[in-house]
Amino acid sequence: MEHGLSQKAVEIARPFGFPVTNSMVVMWIVAIALILFAQNATRTMKQVPDGPQNLLEWLIEGLYRFLEGVIGHHLVERTFWFFGSVFIFILAANWFGLIPGVGSIGWGHVTAAGFQLDVPLFRGANADVNMTLAMALVFFACWIVWALQEIGLKGFFKELFAPKSESAGPMRVLMIVVFFAAGCLEVISILFRPVSLSFRLYGNIFAGETMLETMARVPHVGWLVQIPFYFLELLVGLVQALVFMLLTAVFTLLICQHHEEGPATAHD
Amino acid sequence: MGGNVHVGLAALGAALAVGWIGAKASEAVGRNPGSATSVMVQSILAIAFAEAIVFYALFLVK
Repeated sequence: MEHGLSQKAVEIARPFGFPVTNSMVVMWIVAIALILFAQNATRTMKQVPDGPQNLLEWLIEGLYRFLEGVIGHHLVERTFWFFGSVFIFILAANWFGLIPGVGSIGWGHVTAAGFQLDVPLFRGANADVNMTLAMALVFFACWIVWALQEIGLKGFFKELFAPKSESAGPMRVLMIVVFFAAGCLEVISILFRPVSLSFRLYGNIFAGETMLETMARVPHVGWLVQIPFYFLELLVGLVQALVFMLLTAVFTLLICQHHEEGPATAHD
Repeated sequence: MGGNVHVGLAALGAALAVGWIGAKASEAVGRNPGSATSVMVQSILAIAFAEAIVFYALFLVK
């Protein structure tokens, strides 16, 4: 490995021929911790919550209200399970990646210049493009299912390709051609969404880890110059979780929002 | 000098665009704080589209 953080997650073990990378370890730890926390918080539910139950209710209710304001009451009821989990998981994974020891504990060798870490035991889960791409693809599949359930196959294609303005005569023909061409562009941009979603999250988290590592290498004062960047990374972790959730939510809203207008136009 | 100049240019353009959108969104919220949520949704969408330019450029890296 050249100096700095490797772009890929590194394989640390291969039990039964199944490769386990260091970012997978972090992903499992975060997922198990979240599951245990949720179970612990909801084991004895109280009317007036305190402790973990209070924290969880505050988080879930806050997210729910916020999303309800963005995508509406009907959609949030159906899709909150996805957006809520994705937000909490990304946030937890991003912040877990900032704990000292992630990326600095592992196997290495001693060189003349000091100890050189080759294979870190932990790596931020979202600093691995496989993780972010998996989440983006899961969203993409959900998006298609939600769209088909909300507006149907006909409505889906109508939303993409059909002219959205009322006109008659030769203008109408022109409009059909123009909106069909625009629909083709729209399809390309939709197909690109999983790529940009996954690269945005991966790029931000990976860049943040690289920056922290570079700062740590500053001679003598590395421990000091890191500190402001740790605060920046706390913020970036929150913002990126919010951006991922909001973008996926808005994409869902964009394809499903004509649901209420559907019956009204069917009458005339 | 090595590397891919077009990625740098795309990053420059995307950074300018994101900054511009953010500035305008903050301005809009300052004028009308009640519209904060809808302005944020619009601006995050616009920022996502501006940002996507860098990813298009990244795919053209030789």
